[in-house]
This record gives sequence, C-alpha cells and structure tokens, in this order.
Amino acid sequence: MSGFFKSAALVVVTAVIVHLAVILATPNLIMGVALKRLSFGEQKINVWFHGPRTTEASRTVVRPSPDLAYSSCVYDLSKGPVRIMAAKAADYMSVSVYAANSDNIFAINDRQAPNGVQLVLVAKGQVAPTGLGTVVHSPTLRGIVLERRLAPSAEAFAAAAGARSSDVCAPL
Amino acid sequence: MSIVASTYKPVGSGRHEFLKHPDELPGDAVRSVLKTALLLSLGVGLGLGSAVLVLKSGGLGAGMGSQTVDGWTGNHLTGAKAADPYTRGIVAKSGLLALTQAEAMYFSRSTDEHGGPLKPSCVYALEGGAMPARWWSVTIYDAHDFLPVNGDDAQSVDMTRTAAHATPTGRWTARIAADQAGAADWISSKNAGNFSLTLRLYNPQDAARANFAAIAFPTLKTVSCTKGGA
Repeated sequence: MSGFFKSAALVVVTAVIVHLAVILATPNLIMGVALKRLSFGEQKINVWFHGPRTTEASRTVVRPSPDLAYSSCVYDLSKGPVRIMAAKAADYMSVSVYAANSDNIFAINDRQAPNGVQLVLVAKGQVAPTGLGTVVHSPTLRGIVLERRLAPSAEAFAAAAGARSSDVCAPL
Repeated sequence: MSIVASTYKPVGSGRHEFLKHPDELPGDAVRSVLKTALLLSLGVGLGLGSAVLVLKSGGLGAGMGSQTVDGWTGNHLTGAKAADPYTRGIVAKSGLLALTQAEAMYFSRSTDEHGGPLKPSCVYALEGGAMPARWWSVTIYDAHDFLPVNGDDAQSVDMTRTAAHATPTGRWTARIAADQAGAADWISSKNAGNFSLTLRLYNPQDAARANFAAIAFPTLKTVSCTKGGA
C-alpha cells in the first residue's frame, strides 16, 4: 500500500470512528445537560418542578410547545424506588418516563388513567412494592419524568396548574 | 529522494538506513509524528464535522427511517428504544423528551411548497381540516429549535383555537407572517430567521400511526414575499 493510501486510510478510519462516537454519545450528553438543568444543578431531585407557561423566553429544552403545561421530575433511584402521582385531568394529560439515554421507556395518558396516574419507578435489582400503582423499570438510575397537560390558553394553563399542584414525585 | 524515504529504506541485512545516519533520526521522527498527528486531526475534524452536520441536518422527525409526505417529515421511531443511532441523535438534538408514536407523532417542515426555506419576509397560508388525532397543534421554531423572540405571543395554532374560526366542514386557515393583518389564526414569524414548523398529533389514530400517507396534512402555500425576500 502506498504512502498516500495509508494516509488516506488513517484519515477515513479516524473520521468514521469519531463520527460514530459523536452520534452514539449525543443522546447521553444532551440528556446529561437536561438532567442538570431540570434538577437546577442537582438541587431538585425526586421532586416535581411545575414549569411556568411556555413563552419565547423558554430555553430549558428544545422545541417546547406553548400549548402544554409541563412539569418535570428528575429521578434518582440510587437509594430506592420513587413514587409518581399525577392528578386526573379534564383534558389531555400524560406522564412519560425517559431513561438517561433519552429513551422514552414509558408513557400513560388520562384516558388510560382516568382517575389520575400512579407509578412506582424501580431500578434493576430493586424490589417493586405492590399496591402503589404501575411499576416502571428504569434501565438507568437516573432519568426524567415529564408531565404534559393541555393548556392552549391562559385559562387552561391556570386550570392545569391547579390540577397538578397535588402531584407527587418522592422517594418511597 | 526524500529524507523519509532514505531513512526508512531497508537494506539487505534487515537494518535500516537511519542506523547509518543517527544525526538524521530526531528530525525524521518529529516529521513522522507531525504527519501522523496532522492526519489524525484531519480525521477527527472530518468525523466531528460530519456528525454535527448530520445532527443539524434534520429537524424533529428526521433520521434514517424518516418519511416525508406533502412536505412534512416524520419518523415512526422517534423516541423509541428501537430507534437507530442517527434518529436518536437527531431527536436528542432537535426534540429531546419526545414521545413515541404510541402517544404522539411529530412532523416537521422547513421548506415551502417549492422547496425554498421558510422566511419571515414571506406570507404563507396554512390550510387544513380535521386531523386523525385527539388534539393537534402547529408551532413555529427558529433555527435554534426555540420559539422566535418577537413579543407577539403567537407561536402556534391548535385544534381548540382553529375550531372557533373553521368552516362548517371543519376547514381552517392560519396566516404565517411577520404581521397579523387581521387574521383570526396567526403564527408570527417575526424575527424567526429561516424557520421550521412542527405538527404535533397527540393520541393519533391507528391508521395515522401505521401509514403517514393516510394523514391529510395541512397544506402550505406562499401568498407573497417582500422584495428581495422571495
């Protein structure tokens, strides 16, 4: 193999390795940033944060919908399961769980849970308690629970804010 | 003959020329290391650049399994554990915390009916009817995937608001422009730069999930453009 082709091969192989590494690492890296932002620098773990109405100033997560009321809970299962409760809604509402690699591992909406959502998040090897709701097995110790409530107007947002005030995200 | 070639030219005994010229070794070694470092840097640059280009090239809905219907691009694997690495990367960059299509579907478009970029200097008419979902919305985003900063508080239209102005058959029209001009349903593109639109379908019907082509997507038509902005 000539020197030129050896050099070209080195460049191409390096480029392919770096390209794939960046593509593969991107979800975890961006989720890492989101975990820090939504936990306010690790200050709010296993507790709901009820976001204000989405406006042009909203910059926490890309492509927010101005028609939804968002609540988030950064969970940490290192010390045991975490309980999630979301009050019933008069209109569309969903609770979704994202692992630390950005996978949407679980979602449930108000039609599937007309009386409100009750979940227990457990990590691998943890005992899932019974009678506290649907058990969700998280493949990672950390992740994000996101609640969406339909709120396309100020009045609807106020109603959603009232409904979610009794939501629970807390260690068992 | 270059120094490099002469230095590494094998001789019959298996020894190398540079052993005969020890005073040439440092310079040659440095040259070789620099060349390798340069090639590696070039490879890293190409790999990094191409990855960033790929991640930036598609909006939410893009990825290896993406499909474009009537100008709207979506992906059955958005948010899914089964998504390929490119879809996962693009979703993380442009639509982190997206739901799987069992709960919601996302479609994006960044071009007009002629394939040109969507611009604030143009006026567009977005027209549609009933959508195969429990609730839907269309939202504008700037090049950074955030809502445009313009103070207009008009970033989207949705099923609940368009219903108030729809025809008896459920047809609705929204104006997408930098000014409202009396439109009942308006998305402000002021200060948006080249922008994109995201269509959200929450609790989509089975037929829509199975086949994007079964969805009657809203149509986008360019009404006018200001001079120099077309």
